[in-house]
Amino acid sequence: MDEEKIIVCRCEDITLKEIRDLIKQGFTTVEEIKRVSRAGMGPCQGKTCGPIIAREISKITGKSIEEVYKPHNRPPFGGIFFKEIVGEKNEE
Amino acid sequence: MRKYDVLVIGGGPAGISAALATAKKNLNVALFEEKEILGGQLIKQTHKFFGSKDESAGTRGIYIARKLINEVENNKNIDLYLNSMVMGYYEDGVITALVEGKMEKFLPKKVIIATGAFEKSLPFENNDLPGVFGAGAVQTLMNIYGVLPGKDVLMIGSGNIGLIVSYQLAQAGVNVKGIVEISEKIGGYLVHASKVRRLGIPIYTRHTIVKAIGEKKVKGAIIENIETKEKKEISCDVICLATGLMPLSDIINQIKCEMKYIPELGGYVPVRDENMKTSVENIFVAGDSAGIEEATAAMLEGELSGLYASYEITNIFDDRINKIKKRLKDLRKTSLKIVNGLKKLNLYTDFNVDSQEDLKELHRTGIPEIERISQITPKNSNRYAIMECFQKIPCNPCVSSCPTNAISMDSLNDIPKLDADKCIGCGNCVAVCPGLAIFVIDKQKESVLLPYEFLPIPEKGELVDVLDRSGNVLERNTVLNVRKMKDKTNLVEVKVSKENLKNVRHIRVVK
Repeated sequence: MDEEKIIVCRCEDITLKEIRDLIKQGFTTVEEIKRVSRAGMGPCQGKTCGPIIAREISKITGKSIEEVYKPHNRPPFGGIFFKEIVGEKNEE
Repeated sequence: MRKYDVLVIGGGPAGISAALATAKKNLNVALFEEKEILGGQLIKQTHKFFGSKDESAGTRGIYIARKLINEVENNKNIDLYLNSMVMGYYEDGVITALVEGKMEKFLPKKVIIATGAFEKSLPFENNDLPGVFGAGAVQTLMNIYGVLPGKDVLMIGSGNIGLIVSYQLAQAGVNVKGIVEISEKIGGYLVHASKVRRLGIPIYTRHTIVKAIGEKKVKGAIIENIETKEKKEISCDVICLATGLMPLSDIINQIKCEMKYIPELGGYVPVRDENMKTSVENIFVAGDSAGIEEATAAMLEGELSGLYASYEITNIFDDRINKIKKRLKDLRKTSLKIVNGLKKLNLYTDFNVDSQEDLKELHRTGIPEIERISQITPKNSNRYAIMECFQKIPCNPCVSSCPTNAISMDSLNDIPKLDADKCIGCGNCVAVCPGLAIFVIDKQKESVLLPYEFLPIPEKGELVDVLDRSGNVLERNTVLNVRKMKDKTNLVEVKVSKENLKNVRHIRVVK
């Protein structure tokens, strides 16, 4: 199995090898891995990779999914332009 | 700031049901849907739903969607916000949403979150090659836009979605090369499995995909037996992932509703009470975002949350609240997984599911064994229905379809029993069975009457291939009769030689 050809975070193009290397370096929560690698910071906001990374950490460290994976969500939930928030007239 | 009694997030079956329930109480409702059409996953569901005749059993999801959407559009109490994405919730109860290119603020008394689910992905080699699809995308392409995803599809996952989408692909003329299932048992309902098996689609249990083959796009896949590690190469141009759903809970999580990780319900779900109230005041959930189930449960949960939210506003209790709770319990009577998940939320604590018979080989193959068939074959009748329905599922349209009351069930989840002396072999049950699991055998005429949902529809007198339960061609014989039905499950009666009467379950048009 070529871990470099397995994409875990498709938004940020991060492979299983990168994730496993980070776990071995001691990054053992989804949040930590997100901060060092950007996994989960793309358009889908970690919905695809979050559960996969959590499973990897859990498998390697023996910790429960709940311990290593606590998603945080903040508004806005989708991409939005400044003009959509403040209106075009106020752009200057 | 726009004020509402109730704001519903998500225009799928749960959200629509919630909006309708509250609107019928004369409350002002805002219904938000991020896409341009209502209906959620229902608008792709071309198969007939299981369930009770009292609800929408036997109706195709697309028609249920049409009816619900029509009701919403004709209800003056509902303000429909399409193409409108909810962006956030704030501590003062304000909700922001992007409406017609502008961020707008809303202040509702109650919020019902019915945001549905997200497809789970799967790590395997080259999983980013073009040609790797989620099952939802395949259904959207086929059933909404009328576009085929490819020519040869390998399906990953044998849950209901994997089985149903395989069947739909076959209906659309796509070659489904196989269904790969990591567990030793088929995940979805076995009648759905039987439906795809008789088309000749193999199900590889205890297998997983390890690699997609191809340079610029998918040209094949390598699957592996997880016990023996034996590998098999399958050529295909589409790999379709139907590997499960997880609740789409980002809004619920942002509101800081208490969440719990419950694998049986698909992942993180909000803690809630039996009225669908979360741990945060005035916030309700319904449907898949509260835990992965199916559309009938989602519609009931939506209505329940809507009625309870209305009760909290109006102080008038609708007794239907209790009726829905009872209905949900009936529906979950055979769902061990769901009920175990609910127990972890401290719901259904004293609820026991009906035990399921160990279906052994049938659970691995989707093909009922000969002994099982002989047990339900009447000895002294010449023309009789044979109901290849061996798994307890909440479904009963066959019972009321019978003009002679030959079919009986003790409860909704019971396995139907046939009184062969009363059965006249009319075929009504064949036409209504959502699982396409009933056939009529005529020993004298030497024919089999079967449900047929493919095009072209054969004509009387035409020669067709007759197939067994695994899709093998047994012989070529004559179509004796065709009954075209309004709901598109047509009935075909085909002449079959005596020795094949027991085994013929499908036909293929050969012209």
